[in-house]
Amino acid sequence: MPILYGANPTWADVTPVPQEDGGPHPLAAIAYAEEYSEAMGYLRAVMAANEYSQRVLGLTEHIISLNPAHYTVWLYRAKVLDQIGANLADEISWLNPTALQHLKNYQIWHHRQTIIDKLGSPEGEGPFISTMLEQDSKNYHVWSYRQWLVKRFDLFDEAELAWTESMIEADARNNSAWNHRWFLVVGRKGGQALEESIVDREIQYAKAAIRKAPQNQSPWNYLGGVVRRAQLPASSLKDFVLEFADLDEPDKVFSSHALDLLADIYTQDEDKKDEARKALDLLAVKYDPIRAHYWNYRKGLLDSSPAAQQIA
Amino acid sequence: MSAAQAPSSTSPAVRLEELSDSDFEEEIIGTAMSDHLEYLHRVAPPLRDLLETDTSKAQDETLEAILPFLEGNPNEFDLNSHHLPKLQRKKHVAFLEKTLGNYPAQMAPMDAARPWFLYWSLQGLTALGEDVSKYQERVIYTFAAAQHPMGGYGGGHGQLPHLAATYAAVLSLVIVGGAEAYDSINRKAMWHYLGNMKQADGGFTMSPGGEEDIRGAFCAMVILSLLDLPLELPPDAPSRAHGHTSFMDNLGGWVSRCQNYEGGISAAPGNEAHGAYAFCGLGCLSIMGSPTETLNKYLDMPLLIHWLSSRQCAPEGGFSGRTNKLVDGCYSHWIGSCWALVEAASGKTGLWNRSALGRYILAAAQFKKGGLVDKPGKRPDAYHSCYNLAGLSATQRVYTFDEAMNGNVGKGHLGAPYHWEEKGLYEEDKAWDEGDLVDRVHPVFIVPWGKAEECRSHFEGKGVV
Ligand SMILES: [Zn+2]
Repeated sequence: MPILYGANPTWADVTPVPQEDGGPHPLAAIAYAEEYSEAMGYLRAVMAANEYSQRVLGLTEHIISLNPAHYTVWLYRAKVLDQIGANLADEISWLNPTALQHLKNYQIWHHRQTIIDKLGSPEGEGPFISTMLEQDSKNYHVWSYRQWLVKRFDLFDEAELAWTESMIEADARNNSAWNHRWFLVVGRKGGQALEESIVDREIQYAKAAIRKAPQNQSPWNYLGGVVRRAQLPASSLKDFVLEFADLDEPDKVFSSHALDLLADIYTQDEDKKDEARKALDLLAVKYDPIRAHYWNYRKGLLDSSPAAQQIA
Repeated sequence: MSAAQAPSSTSPAVRLEELSDSDFEEEIIGTAMSDHLEYLHRVAPPLRDLLETDTSKAQDETLEAILPFLEGNPNEFDLNSHHLPKLQRKKHVAFLEKTLGNYPAQMAPMDAARPWFLYWSLQGLTALGEDVSKYQERVIYTFAAAQHPMGGYGGGHGQLPHLAATYAAVLSLVIVGGAEAYDSINRKAMWHYLGNMKQADGGFTMSPGGEEDIRGAFCAMVILSLLDLPLELPPDAPSRAHGHTSFMDNLGGWVSRCQNYEGGISAAPGNEAHGAYAFCGLGCLSIMGSPTETLNKYLDMPLLIHWLSSRQCAPEGGFSGRTNKLVDGCYSHWIGSCWALVEAASGKTGLWNRSALGRYILAAAQFKKGGLVDKPGKRPDAYHSCYNLAGLSATQRVYTFDEAMNGNVGKGHLGAPYHWEEKGLYEEDKAWDEGDLVDRVHPVFIVPWGKAEECRSHFEGKGVV
């Protein structure tokens, strides 16, 4: 049944390619609505003919409104935009409301990346990303897209760091924000050594966050990462760790992550194996019993080679 | 120190505490219940920060919704001898037969993901012990329509090839099995298509002009291995211009760059560590060679194990996908299935709490009317059904890797994954009965035991014609 395209003279030169299902009872088959079915028939036809035109752009927009998770339509749309030299700023304005409606869609983000890459400017993207994160502050695609943006336009600057801090400030348990901080501060360096002042700053930053909520694993992971990356011994954190977990006061542990790190510090000290064992026992029995298997595994490693033992 | 203190009086953790500490609980709720409360009390984390953020609020609300299912049996399922809901086999089979069937017009948004629905449903059904060979013919022709002339599969007829769709299509054909199913795959075109996806930095894109992430690397290795395609890149592969000659060039290094400072694995270098991508990374490496060799070579194993272990939520018992995220039934597989690979690489077993995950799946992830869910309150779907069941299988069965690589299948390249052995059931602190057993699942391919070997052996020595 022709609806939009079949009865439209501007499409009269195109013969739609009907859906082919392979056999009489295809699995997971969809009883497509006529509107969708017809539009897809025309898409198959123009794709087969490699048509890149304004009318095809309209067709892709129509299908995306019916099914935004259709990667084929997005990929073909990107090609059409490229071939007809479309105004890419217009494309971004069209894209914004669509993206807001479909936060978890891979295609929209990849499409956006393709367009912004061609536009050659990150202008307006920061505020747009912030709007998205207000709805879903840990959205994986949004954060990954932001990282691409930072890399593509070399935005490793103070403003980006300050924005990341504001995200951590808003929720110190937002691990995506911590990962972004790592990406900005450490990731940009590649294999190069970190300046001592940066290492100090990052250690202080993570420690301050831990003091606010010692059971929050995000800054502990960050702290461990920085110390490892700077090739400092884990024991350099011992005094700090003892603020939260001291074997002399086993009933006054404030953080299982501190106890975990303490076990690691003792593990690396040949004379402190008993202390390491005690810390791991406390974790297995009292402070993190669901992971008792893991803590006992770590205990088992105490008697094997030192190389196999290090965590932080 | 005053920041970390006893939980506030409204928190679920306190409710747990009060319930399980009270002397009269047995009179009120009976012995079966008190077993659970004793267990929950034992695994509940005693430490809690006062600082309230969006994350802690979401965590509290989630636990509030889940606890009734861990404490009791709101769905009124029959219980096993551990007082846990039995695996609702019949209901799940009925649900998955439905997800394999017809969909109404408003389901058009799944048009590009149809291959996934076949894979999840078929894999879920076999995990429940169903024979799916009756679907063979329909699976073959459904995918014949979705195969692209240039190689690989799209979501359906006329759609561009995509590695996720191709992965789901190939695994579905492997599950139903048989020469006709295998030979319906255009291997030569597939080889060219995969060659097209290989990127200069060693990774793979999901589609022509599409995103590059670790799913691509995993899916490509799965397909190359199952179809026994040449490791050599086809002559028209664009990455040859960057000096590549093999699919494997720079691949291990690329996966290695996806391991981040937390120890987990991310979608692409620089991104956040995430459970689903972790399985893809470990799966990819476990196809490239024996896990003992490749995991230890390309990953910081102590750090990886630390991160994987941190994914187990307490007291829920299920896994979260990332640090400070919520428990979700699909990670029963994405994290749960990492353990067999990691244990093979580390030479140690018993690194994780199988029993706690099993409890979460049986008690909290079964939907009353059939199908499995992310968490109580969510609707069931084929995806969460398939991956909760794969996770349940991971809690019940012990797999080891045969370093000697004996056996006749998997002698050539990418042959490592054909050398897994099943070492029987995990009995220690188990929370299931025989009736709750899920069938054996291949630890890397997540298809029924023996099916991957049958497919590989069909293609071994065939070359690309
Ligand atoms: Zn899920």
